[in-house]
Parts: sequence; C-alpha cells; structure tokens
Amino acid sequence: MIQMYHVDLRYTGGTYGLRDISLTLERGEFVFLTGSSGAGKTSLLRLLFGAEQPSAGQILVSGRNITRMKAAQVPALRRQIGVIFQDFKLLPERTVFENVAIALEIAGTAKREIRTRVWSLLKRLGLGHRIDHRPRTLSGGEQQRVAIARALVNDPPLLLADEPTGNLDPGLALDIMDIIADAHARGTTVVVATHDPTLLERYRHRRIVLDAGRLVADRAPEPTVWAARSIGATRS
Amino acid sequence: MIDIRAVRRLAVCVRSGLRGARERPLVFALSVATMAAGLLVLGTYMLIAANLRGVLERVGADLKLVAFTSLGAAAAPDEVEALGARLRALSGVAELRYVRPDEAMERLRGDLGEDAAVLDGMTQNPLPGSFELVVAVERRAPAELRALAAAVAGVPGVTEVRFGEAWVEGYARVVRMVEILGAGLGVFLVIVLGAIVASTVRLSLHARADEIQIQRLVGAGGLFVRLPFYLEGALQGGLAALAALLLLRALYALGMPLLGDALGWLVGSQALVFFGPAEAAGLVTLGVLLGLGGALMSLFSLEDHR
Repeated sequence: MIQMYHVDLRYTGGTYGLRDISLTLERGEFVFLTGSSGAGKTSLLRLLFGAEQPSAGQILVSGRNITRMKAAQVPALRRQIGVIFQDFKLLPERTVFENVAIALEIAGTAKREIRTRVWSLLKRLGLGHRIDHRPRTLSGGEQQRVAIARALVNDPPLLLADEPTGNLDPGLALDIMDIIADAHARGTTVVVATHDPTLLERYRHRRIVLDAGRLVADRAPEPTVWAARSIGATRS
Repeated sequence: MIDIRAVRRLAVCVRSGLRGARERPLVFALSVATMAAGLLVLGTYMLIAANLRGVLERVGADLKLVAFTSLGAAAAPDEVEALGARLRALSGVAELRYVRPDEAMERLRGDLGEDAAVLDGMTQNPLPGSFELVVAVERRAPAELRALAAAVAGVPGVTEVRFGEAWVEGYARVVRMVEILGAGLGVFLVIVLGAIVASTVRLSLHARADEIQIQRLVGAGGLFVRLPFYLEGALQGGLAALAALLLLRALYALGMPLLGDALGWLVGSQALVFFGPAEAAGLVTLGVLLGLGGALMSLFSLEDHR
C-alpha cells in the first residue's frame, strides 16, 4: 500500500523534519507511528497525503509514485485517502451533515447517494440525532466522530490519523480508536500517529518509532515478539 | 458526452459562490454599491460621449455641400444638365439641386433684409450658378466629407466648394478629446473597480480559509476551489453594472426635463439619447469582466493543491 525509500524532508534553513526513512506498509495493515513531540510523525503523514514534497527519496502510495506526481494530480490521490486531525478541522458554520457531505460533493456524487451514505455512516457512528447540529454544540468526542465520518464517507482504502485522540478524555479516546479499528476491520489500511501509551498498550498493532526525524524502530504487532529491527534491516 | 460528476461539481461551485453573498451580505452589498458608483460615473461619461458622436453623425443631414460653378446667368440648360450629371455620378452624392444666379441673388437679398438696398446699384448679377449637394448618410463623417469635397472640386466647371468644414472639424476634435479623456477615465476606473473586487474576494478568501483547507484535504482540485470566487466576483460586477444602469436610466428620466435645455449647447437641438440594448449589455459585460478580473487578481497568489 505504501512504500517509502530513503525519504528526506529538509526545511529551508537546512534542518531535517525526516531523514532517510524507508518502510513498507501492506494493504489492510494497522500501523502506529509513534515517538515524542517533534519526532516527525505529522511530517511523515503530510508526505503521504501530498501536503509536503520530500527533499529526497521516493514514496509510492497504491503503486503510484507521489514524488513525481504533478500538483494537478494530488486531488485525485487525496480522494483515495481519509485524513483525521487532532483539532478535528470541522467547519463551524456548517451542520454535521454538511461537514461530512463535503467529501462526496467534491467527488461529484449524486445528491440522493450523498444523503443515503452520510446518513447511514453518521447513524453507525452514533451521530444520527446530531445530523443538523453545528459542530460547536457537540462534545469533543462527537466532533472527532464527525471528522472520522468525513474521512471515511468516500470508503478510502487508506486512513491517516494524526493524534486523533489528543484532545479527548481517555474514555472518549478509546471510543474513537474503536471506530478507527472498525474501519480497519472493514479492510481500510490505517496509519495512526500517536504518543499515547494507553492506546499503544490496548491496541496491539505494528509500531513505527520515530526520533528526531529518523526511524529508530519498527516493531511487529505481537507484544511478545518485540523484534526491534535496525533501520538497515528495514531497508532491505 | 457530458461528465455528470463534473456537472454536479459545477453545481456545488455555484452554490458555494452564492454563499459568499449570503454569509457576508454587508461586505458584498458595500462592494456592489462602490462598484455601482464607479460604473455610474463611467456610464454617464459613456452616455455623453455616445451622444456627442451621435450629433456629429446627425449634423451631416442638415449640411449641404455647395459647389460654385463657372456657369453664369446666360448658361444654356444642357450645360447645366451636363455638369449636374457629372456631379451626380460622384460616389456619396445623394441628391443635388441647381441654384441659378438670379435665385442666388434673391436669397442674398433675403439674407440682407433691410440692407438689400446696397444691391440696387448693380447693373449685372455677379453671382455664379451653384449646385447644392445632399451627402449620403454613410458619407457624413468629417474625413468622408473632405474626400467628397475634393472630388467635387476636381470636376471641370466647378470653381469652389464649401461645406462648413471648420465647424465639423472643430466638433470632431471635441468629440475626439472627450473620447480620449473617456478612455483615460475608463482605465482609471477599471483599475480602481478591479481593486475593489479584489479586496472583497480577498476578504472572502480569508473568511473561507478553513473551508479551502478542508476542501483540499478531501481532494478538491484548484478549479473547484477557485471557481466559487470567480463566480462571486462576476456576480458582484454584474449586479453593480445592472444597478448603475438602472440608476443612470432613472437619472436620465428625472433629469432630462430639467437639463434638456441646458445641454442644448452641447448636443444641439437633438435630445440626449439613452443607451440602446447593445450598449447596456456592453456595460453589464464590462461589470462582469471587472468582477472576474478582480477575483483573478486576488487569487493570483493562491497556491494550488498543497
């Protein structure tokens, strides 16, 4: 699903956001990207949905080399990727329905189909009674569920989540993670950036550990097999 | 074959473009009002310039080109007929009439009125016979008149040609000056009005920055993001031009009875004429283009896709 080969992300001024990252994510995998603040988790996610261009290296998403992609081709890539952020990124003046429908409108989906898909998804996420509400009248957990609904409504094969539970109480955080896990169970490849140890403990998935922009560990899902691999081994 | 998804996206863009007016009605209305004021000034100027041009075109109808001849009082009718035929054959001559020397003398007496007694001592009529030529409508512009006068003067038997060229050329110069000033004013107003739309669209752009970010996040292309702003600008320009046109029409209807006489010195005995459908459509198109131009200016720096 995702291949990264010796990827650097260097900012103006010469500092590195990411350095020599190589990794492979299989279709249908659930991966945690972890590491302390500033480790490069968000930068890596931004590279995957085309918000940044790497300074060096190659990135393939669904077999397409996005480093060679023209700017005009990026929107088509993004319609294949759902993205969730810590700060939800909802439009405060729009209703819950409109916030979710925007992704389908941009894809040119018919109105009737938009109504059906948004309604059924919001109902599945427990927001059926909130469909005409504005985001500011919702709790943090509900707002994040709306953001997840927007990310999933197109049935994207890849879901990227950047600290999706960072602004939520522990109980709500687990609710949100359960929804993301459910999307994974339905076949979506999931990459979650988090530094929340509770989540990492509860959900036993592959973990990619970043530190100061470098990939320092890539750990297999089983807790007993903590086979930390060297970066060199990951490359091969 | 029509791409139905593209049509649906276009419909979303149109709704989004109209949302700017709905969500920020005050800013939108102020922008339309300011543009309308500018277009009203421009429209007024265009109206005056069009009327001045109209006067120049109409004045030819009253204007007769006079060809004085070497034919005296004793000229034979077939001599007069032959010269008349040569003049009638010239391109641009619609009608002509021969004025005999004795008829010319009668006119002169009439013109002199009480002073006509000064002519009593004359034993011979010194006035030559002349032809009065009515110029075809399509040949009444100053340059055309000059060309026709030169052609008439070149006909054997014609000694002199007169057609009030000083007045026609002086008026044409005024019209040219008005048109040049109008072009300058037009350019100035186009820049100012474009900047007004650009500012309004930029405000919209800031107000909708989050929406644009989210649209891009979920896969909106550059045109999908930009089109609503182009539509908003075009809508502002079009509405402003319509408002200016209606206001100008109202001012015309109210002001003409009061100003008609005062403007007589400028446009002659003819009443001021309002824009026809073509000119009105032109002003609205100008407004729409100004709005689009302003939106283009403000979106120039907007990066695509990233």
